[in-house]
Amino acid sequence: MQEIINVFVRSIFIDNMIFAYFLGMCSFLAVSKNINTAIGLGAAVVFVLTTTLPLNYLLENYVLKEGALVWISEDLKTVDLSFLSFIIFIAVIASFVQLVEMVIEKISSELYASLGIFLPLIAVNCAILGGSLFMQQKEFGSIAVATSYAAGSGVGWALAIVAMAAIREKLKYSDVPKPLRGLGITIIITALMGVAFMCFSGIKI
Amino acid sequence: MDAKRKKIVLDPIFKNNPVIVQMLGVCSALAVTSKLEPSIVLGISVIVVLTFANFIISLIRNTIPSRIRIIVQLVIVAALVTIVSEVLKAYAYEVNKQLSVFVGLIITNCIIMGRLEAFALANKPIDSILDGVGNGTGYALILVAVGFVRELFGSGTLLGFQVIPQFLYDLGYENNGMMILPPMALITVATLIWIHRSKDKSLQEN
Amino acid sequence: MNKESNNYTIIYAAVMVIIVAIGLAFTSQVLKERQAKNEAVDKMRQILRAANIESTADDADKKYDAFIVADYAIDKNGEKVSDNGFVVEMVEELRKTPENRKYPVFEALIDGESYYILALRGAGLWGPIWGYIALKDDKNMVYGADFSHQGETPGLGAEITTAAFSKQFENKRIAIDNVFKSIAIVKKGKKVDNQDFVDGISGGTITSQGVNDMLFNSLKGYEAFLNKKSKL
Repeated sequence: MQEIINVFVRSIFIDNMIFAYFLGMCSFLAVSKNINTAIGLGAAVVFVLTTTLPLNYLLENYVLKEGALVWISEDLKTVDLSFLSFIIFIAVIASFVQLVEMVIEKISSELYASLGIFLPLIAVNCAILGGSLFMQQKEFGSIAVATSYAAGSGVGWALAIVAMAAIREKLKYSDVPKPLRGLGITIIITALMGVAFMCFSGIKI
Repeated sequence: MDAKRKKIVLDPIFKNNPVIVQMLGVCSALAVTSKLEPSIVLGISVIVVLTFANFIISLIRNTIPSRIRIIVQLVIVAALVTIVSEVLKAYAYEVNKQLSVFVGLIITNCIIMGRLEAFALANKPIDSILDGVGNGTGYALILVAVGFVRELFGSGTLLGFQVIPQFLYDLGYENNGMMILPPMALITVATLIWIHRSKDKSLQEN
Repeated sequence: MNKESNNYTIIYAAVMVIIVAIGLAFTSQVLKERQAKNEAVDKMRQILRAANIESTADDADKKYDAFIVADYAIDKNGEKVSDNGFVVEMVEELRKTPENRKYPVFEALIDGESYYILALRGAGLWGPIWGYIALKDDKNMVYGADFSHQGETPGLGAEITTAAFSKQFENKRIAIDNVFKSIAIVKKGKKVDNQDFVDGISGGTITSQGVNDMLFNSLKGYEAFLNKKSKL
């Protein structure tokens, strides 16, 4: 239990998807001009990440990894399908996103209007695939830990874009040098927020 | 090479660079730019993947059913990235360890999907190859520039060789440890954008 | 043929998946041997680094042959059970019960002195950490150590791979007055009594704790071997 909470907190603050690895910056920069849209996209990312990552965790541990197929037969101990992992992960994410989009469209047009429009953007959001690839690298001990990592990463990502959107709304009133306006200053602010987030781990230079 | 094709290759390298003008695809790569070597290797990998993906998609562009278009593109890109990753594991083991998950993240690099959608689906294979080379190079150029600045000022080395002379250190020069930290990659890119937009005023935003 | 019909879409997807899968399986088979060799070379370099020998990817196997004079595996009671220690992977051994585990030992001969190199494996914050530790002829005093990790945070937990961290282990003792103690990793400035210790990584507390546990658990398996002062 302690490990689950620990992983959750650390993936929000210390190994933040945006501030430590810059993952998902494209949609982050495209969307974060307005707080409401940022919240919508953030929620969609948390949702997709916490559902696809455990799914990929199961695939990784029961199909792809070397020796993962032992549950079928002992003879398959040396089978190593890890070269298929990129394809499988991205296929799971893309088809899941498609599925959710269709379901949401059928169930509630209101939810679709607020969340559904972001879903196509999410299939190619680096933070989602990044989550699954980090899961593969970090070799989590159980699916509970992996899920907690997914939720933490998603929440950390959402937190970052909402904070960013809030700052950008205020930025309209500041006098920024012309060539830096828009893209330039946004990147610099992201960097400064990244520096601020480093205080959670104690800066070591 | 006629003028139109030349433009396809050269435009995205300088004037219409996908990273500093359109801010595409920077996400998945900046984290590896603290050293020059991984930046170069990742840059080359992106050029290779983008060129081949553009070529293949352009070849089969008239056969793809529109409903599964995105999935087809993702599968082809993912397959190419897997091949690149396997080759790196076999021939550049040490660099591959440093790149860790970021080779895999080429799949979701917005430049690749962006070029496939915007160019390869509507153009002939040869033009698509040129477009891939151009955009890939434009992207790699930024990565290498950032890697160069960060390794030079952060560690005083380039490709692992010390380039800042020892007597400067003896005089009290110190490496800027800040450069190694992830946020400095963003500040370096922002500076590049600043320079680029100071020259090309048409790109400035209000 | 209608490009948008269901049949066409399904056949298209199936054909594409088959072609891609065959292509990838082929690439992976072709490159497998080279990849396996790279992994072996990497392991040799880690073992050599523990014995304070730097090597490159090109000369690692030559240096390994020159300096590592024997490798074998022992069991919990310190008895030799296999003549090939290099192939023993601690990941697999740790899944077995302690009675069935094999522990690899590498004997190095450097400038006329012999050293014992032992394998370590444990968990850091984000994933597995592992390493090798070289002991002097008395099987107690540390000669050198080397640590690796898979996913620790760069600049924090990942600092365990630096020489600054591993150099601290030199001349520390695993047992004091013939009682097994392991080596503790402590916060900078803290002390422990009756045990040798080194400073942990600031900002990497959980990784440091992981190294601490890894040393204790892994070396514990070698306890019987270390207590035998005669050569195997």
